[in-house]
Amino acid sequence: MTDATQEDLQDKRNLLDRLLPRWSVGQWLFATICLILCLWVLLPIYLLVLSAFSPRDAVFAWPKAYLPFDISTDTIAFFFGVRGVFSAFLNSVMVAALTMVISIGLGAPAGYALARFRFRGKDSFRLLIVMTRAFPIAILALPLTVTFIKLGLYDTVFGVALVHSALALPFAVLISSSLFMGIPFELEEAAWTMGCTRFQAFWRVVMPIATPGLAAAAIFAFVISWNEVFAATILTLQHPTLTAFLLTTLSESPLYFRFAGGFFLVVPALVFIFAVRKYLFSMWGIANR
Amino acid sequence: MAAGIYVDKVRKVFGTFEALKSVSLDVQPEEFTVLLGPSGCGKTTLLRIIAGLETETSGVLKIGDKQVNGLPPRDRNIAMVFQNYAVFPHLTIFENIAFGLRMKKLLNSEIEPRVKKAAGMMHIEHLLERYSGQLSGGQRQRVAVARALAMEPEVLLMDEPLSNLDALLRLEMRAELKGLLAESRTTTIYVTHDQVEAMSLADRIAVMHGGHIIQYDSPIQVYQNPANEFCGGFIGNPPMNFLQAERRNGHCHIAGAALTAPSQGNGRVTLGIRPEDVVVAEASAADHLSGHVTVVEPLGPHNLLTLSVDQQLFRVTTAADSPIRSGQEVHLALAPGRLRWFDSESGQALH
Repeated sequence: MTDATQEDLQDKRNLLDRLLPRWSVGQWLFATICLILCLWVLLPIYLLVLSAFSPRDAVFAWPKAYLPFDISTDTIAFFFGVRGVFSAFLNSVMVAALTMVISIGLGAPAGYALARFRFRGKDSFRLLIVMTRAFPIAILALPLTVTFIKLGLYDTVFGVALVHSALALPFAVLISSSLFMGIPFELEEAAWTMGCTRFQAFWRVVMPIATPGLAAAAIFAFVISWNEVFAATILTLQHPTLTAFLLTTLSESPLYFRFAGGFFLVVPALVFIFAVRKYLFSMWGIANR
Repeated sequence: MAAGIYVDKVRKVFGTFEALKSVSLDVQPEEFTVLLGPSGCGKTTLLRIIAGLETETSGVLKIGDKQVNGLPPRDRNIAMVFQNYAVFPHLTIFENIAFGLRMKKLLNSEIEPRVKKAAGMMHIEHLLERYSGQLSGGQRQRVAVARALAMEPEVLLMDEPLSNLDALLRLEMRAELKGLLAESRTTTIYVTHDQVEAMSLADRIAVMHGGHIIQYDSPIQVYQNPANEFCGGFIGNPPMNFLQAERRNGHCHIAGAALTAPSQGNGRVTLGIRPEDVVVAEASAADHLSGHVTVVEPLGPHNLLTLSVDQQLFRVTTAADSPIRSGQEVHLALAPGRLRWFDSESGQALH
């Protein structure tokens, strides 16, 4: 080997060293798997968003544009122009908002009780709350429909919100109880000694501190309701939510319509979850980062 | 303004555990009382019962002339300083100090001077716009005390307020608190497990052990005349020495010495004497103990000797320039007025 090629090799090595971090094989493997997982999740979402914001015919174009050169709200406008979409969208928002109110209104007090009081059967109560998630809604669907028809709740926003609240409530209770547990009881006691009743201490001291976390729990409830398909489909007829509406119409609609629908199902949920991830992590026992 | 506190035969039972066994306490207006004892002795429970944060199982509780049994904390005219400060994180320091005043529905024009005054007393005027997250532990402690003082309560309750501070800061705050509270003339009950803190702050110390108040007296009385062996051993650093003695015919025999017995009778008694009341003597005498020095610790102001006297542990302080070395045999002269005798079985002081 000549001196020149030796130097060449040396140069190449230096360049590589500078561009790539010095990782072990294990670390490279780890990084690669991370990358694959991220692409696995993010790539479809990217394509979905891209298609939703492209002109209608771009969906069928080949080769595809993988970068957003041709942005248009054409598809979105068409989507909302279709009969039933806008009212379904409104229904979804109303159901989700109602679910949020019900599950926080009931879940936060329950969480406070779990965090602050010792009572008989507390542990079984906590377990029972989680157990409600073990009931497959498919089994409940028929009796639920019959009951709702009897009560006049069938095909109403409130009826769907009730079922969604049942789904969201366990999370609301658990998130808010861990939230209240993280607020020192001493703060409440200090407020009592300074002239507060138990409720005033809760309202003036605990609530302001818990508000961001409760907001996160509320948003989580919103997302659960927003994404729920099965109960919404079964319990509605004339007034479906967006998910229920799309489920029934998706198979016979054009491709660009599906992309726009997918966008409205996936993206709000993703954005909300991303915004409140810190609180969800803390509920699941993962350190805040 | 300051009120007395009257606690009569208060008991507290948690499930099967009796935390307080018929405790009585009579705190005079403006008096500074320290509840002192090891952890689990019931001192914090007693404080929390007085505050109304815990409900007594039985007994009578009065603040001033008013019986407060069953009243919530807000109706007891108290203020409390908590061990972990309990400064509200969502309010500024100003609003923290003003919190109790706002609950009393005072006007802003009344609140502001009182907050400023309390903050001034604790030297935290410059922190009023900050939040507790931006303060150090010592500063938070100051906020907690200022918040209590601003309430101008009849009774101030403090639950180990200095225990979370580092040693140097604790020393500084202790002296400051003492001056401040003497000035404010508020009846104070202060819980601590630190006997030095208790000695330095208290008008009277209530020594607690196992749910009982063992002795309730001035610091100097508690130090010099402990009611039982526990008090003598818990207060003082190094603690009181205890030696087993044999009482026969009016004399007590320990380690070759014969000392005049405190009272008639035969059998075993315990001698108690503080390390600083013992002098290492030149020559032997009938009432001198003989001992074997095992360890010499130079502590700066004085040396601490650990001896074995009649196979029992014994500690003596000597001058820093003392020539005594470990391994030496010495004679110990006991200051005659400072001998304390205890019943070997019950541990109670004999008089």
